[in-house]
Amino acid sequence: MIEFSNVSLIYPNSINTVLEDLSFTVAEGEFVLVIGATGLGKSSLLRLINGLVPHHTGGILAGEVSVDGTSTRSVKPGALAHLVGIVGQNPLNGFVTDTVEEELAFGLEALNFPPDVMRKRVEEVLDLMSLAALRSRSITSLSGGEQQRVAIGSALVMHPKVLVLDEPTSALDPIAAEEVLSILQRLVHDLSLTVIVAEHRLERVIHFADRIIYIQANGETKIGTPQEILKDSEIAPPIVHLARALDLPEVALSVREMRRATQPFREKLLKIDVVTGSKFEGTGKELVKIKKLSLSYENSEVLHDISLNIHEGEIVAIMGRNGAGKSSLLRSMVGIVTTYEGQIEIDGRAPNNLKAADRSRLIGFIPQEPSDLLYGQSVGQECTQADKDNRVLPGTTLELLQKLVPGISPSTHPRDLSEGQRLALALSVVLSAKPNLLVLDEPTRGLDYSAKASLINQLRGHTVVLATHDVELVAEFATRVIFIAEGEIVADGSTIDVLLSSPAFAPQIAKVMSPSPWLTVNDVIKVVGTSL
Amino acid sequence: MRGALHPLTWWVWAGSLAVAIVSARSILLAIIVVTLVALTVHRNGRGTAWSHSFRWALIMGMWVVLIRTAIGVLVGVPIPGRTLFSIPVFPLPTWMAGVRVGGGVTLERLTSTTHESIIIAGVIALIGAATSLSNPHRLLRSLPIMIYEFGVAVVIATTVVPQLVMSITRIRQAQQMRGQSVRGIRQWKKIALPLLEDALSRSLDLAAAMDSRGYGFSRKRSRYRVEKIQSGEYGIACASIFAIFIPIPFVIFSALLPLLVVKSRNQAVFA
Repeated sequence: MIEFSNVSLIYPNSINTVLEDLSFTVAEGEFVLVIGATGLGKSSLLRLINGLVPHHTGGILAGEVSVDGTSTRSVKPGALAHLVGIVGQNPLNGFVTDTVEEELAFGLEALNFPPDVMRKRVEEVLDLMSLAALRSRSITSLSGGEQQRVAIGSALVMHPKVLVLDEPTSALDPIAAEEVLSILQRLVHDLSLTVIVAEHRLERVIHFADRIIYIQANGETKIGTPQEILKDSEIAPPIVHLARALDLPEVALSVREMRRATQPFREKLLKIDVVTGSKFEGTGKELVKIKKLSLSYENSEVLHDISLNIHEGEIVAIMGRNGAGKSSLLRSMVGIVTTYEGQIEIDGRAPNNLKAADRSRLIGFIPQEPSDLLYGQSVGQECTQADKDNRVLPGTTLELLQKLVPGISPSTHPRDLSEGQRLALALSVVLSAKPNLLVLDEPTRGLDYSAKASLINQLRGHTVVLATHDVELVAEFATRVIFIAEGEIVADGSTIDVLLSSPAFAPQIAKVMSPSPWLTVNDVIKVVGTSL
Repeated sequence: MRGALHPLTWWVWAGSLAVAIVSARSILLAIIVVTLVALTVHRNGRGTAWSHSFRWALIMGMWVVLIRTAIGVLVGVPIPGRTLFSIPVFPLPTWMAGVRVGGGVTLERLTSTTHESIIIAGVIALIGAATSLSNPHRLLRSLPIMIYEFGVAVVIATTVVPQLVMSITRIRQAQQMRGQSVRGIRQWKKIALPLLEDALSRSLDLAAAMDSRGYGFSRKRSRYRVEKIQSGEYGIACASIFAIFIPIPFVIFSALLPLLVVKSRNQAVFA
């Protein structure tokens, strides 16, 4: 279906090739996963498939890419619209019209399909993606998962043979992600659709994949079955790290397989009475006090009667569905939203009437798009500005940045940094004011495993509140989890208690090792090291 | 009749009513019409993509009344009549003779400016109502095929505007959190640069998405669901056009008409 032969790609004004001498074929009905660290060309590889690279982006392409016998060299992306459907990293940016139904019809209109065919196909896709109830809704009013389904739907109306998705679940909560992925799985099995997906959170997709294309840090590319690739790849989901730690002969990809493989091991463990899980109770003074917080937008209540206290040194993860009120809670805490009822005190002060300079010394806030904070023309300029704003010694911020992520040249433009580096820059700008409390909104969106690990190191030692969908991050890092649904707190407790009690939000290791209460590979290794 | 009218009908209806209240020059009539229209919007315009427009139009109308009355009272040629109160006159250069800032405020002046501004607010409310009741994008889609391409371009452009507004708010808030003051002209760079980058990457994404979905590839373009005008709608349109010429009886009648004949959207949903 898709054939890459000796493909190399280089962008203009760049010395390094993005891809070098890449050859592979993908058969009809295959589910292929593209993995690799950020900035190594996963997106470029996906966009080569329908010719967006190089027709749309520029760049020099050597070799040949062909889809269903058509070379992308000879035709424009539009000519492949009926063959390849592509869903970008941020679907909201790709929407052309304002309502669901019109969006689905857009591609068909452009290709001059007769109205009766169009009508039939739109209805079909509305059913296939369970969008029928949302048909006349405005797209911006939909949740992230629903938007993702609309984006996939508007590619599917064209009856493509290949569907290409760039990080389809990075913005979704675990349940919505599961929903989107199982729809993809169904399409592969029922319609023999060929699906190519790039994704960082392997734990979510790995059990669906037939093959993996692994772009390594040195630019070399490996292609093979998940077992072959994951045996020794640097990038791997927790379940594979566990298999390696336990020296299992085969790499298991799903929780079921892994439970089978570890059965004898787990039985042995059950006999040992182990005490795990460092139950961290905040010991310091109460830093955040929230009493009876309620907030409504346009007649609908987004937060209802929330009361909680956060102690110094705690790391609190706020979890919940898309649209459950996580961001609203954070934004009230940092003082962006001021129309709330009830009481919020950060270190004894209400955040909604602080002066800008006082606020940055009290609360550090990293928004969903860290680049919103940055406007300098270079990393160095950004750091000097932060020194001036926060009235610290010149050079403090840059020094902090070098400690967090070594090797960033001060003359680089912030846009040219990788996602992880940009986050580190925003973080050091915020941290240079030495805030008492650090608040982060979905910090790991688009971060690969190594960037995530380095983020965790950067954050240790601070009092942190973060909203996230990333179960594995929470398991690794948080001391306390607050679960929000429909604007109310439904669970609040230590990470172990909350994560283990919910099957959807339990991390992979917990599912494998159940009923033993472990959340991460390190938890298991610690016990294995002492007792076996 | 079905719950939804053709967008053109809503626009003819609202447009004619607007012309009628302007030509009738009666506050009472304007208020009655806006009330009836508000009822229609409440019944039929909920849950649509642009359903908030009417509310915004009312708020905007209120500002228009306030600002216009204030300016009308402060600036302008004196109108003789009963003086209510007096404001000190602001000295102006001689070449601006005839214009006066401040001075005595007469009852006649106050009523005439309020009167005019309420009618202007009424017209704004009617346009807002038409937008609430029929998505303006649907109106563009019912254009003749010759200017349809232009319509598509406008649809795309106007879809981006609310997203831009959202980006501006987002960036401003982030900057404030960083401890930056974002007021004042010299601070514009802090917002403009991230916004420009944001808008640029957004439009590149959009162009790529449109390109890969076949936009502009075929010379001809078909249309999904052509809006059809139903026979009953001519009645509403005609009655509203009559209202322009014979205002008093027809304005109220035609403003009432959709309430009487069009099925409520809420009923249609739950039935």
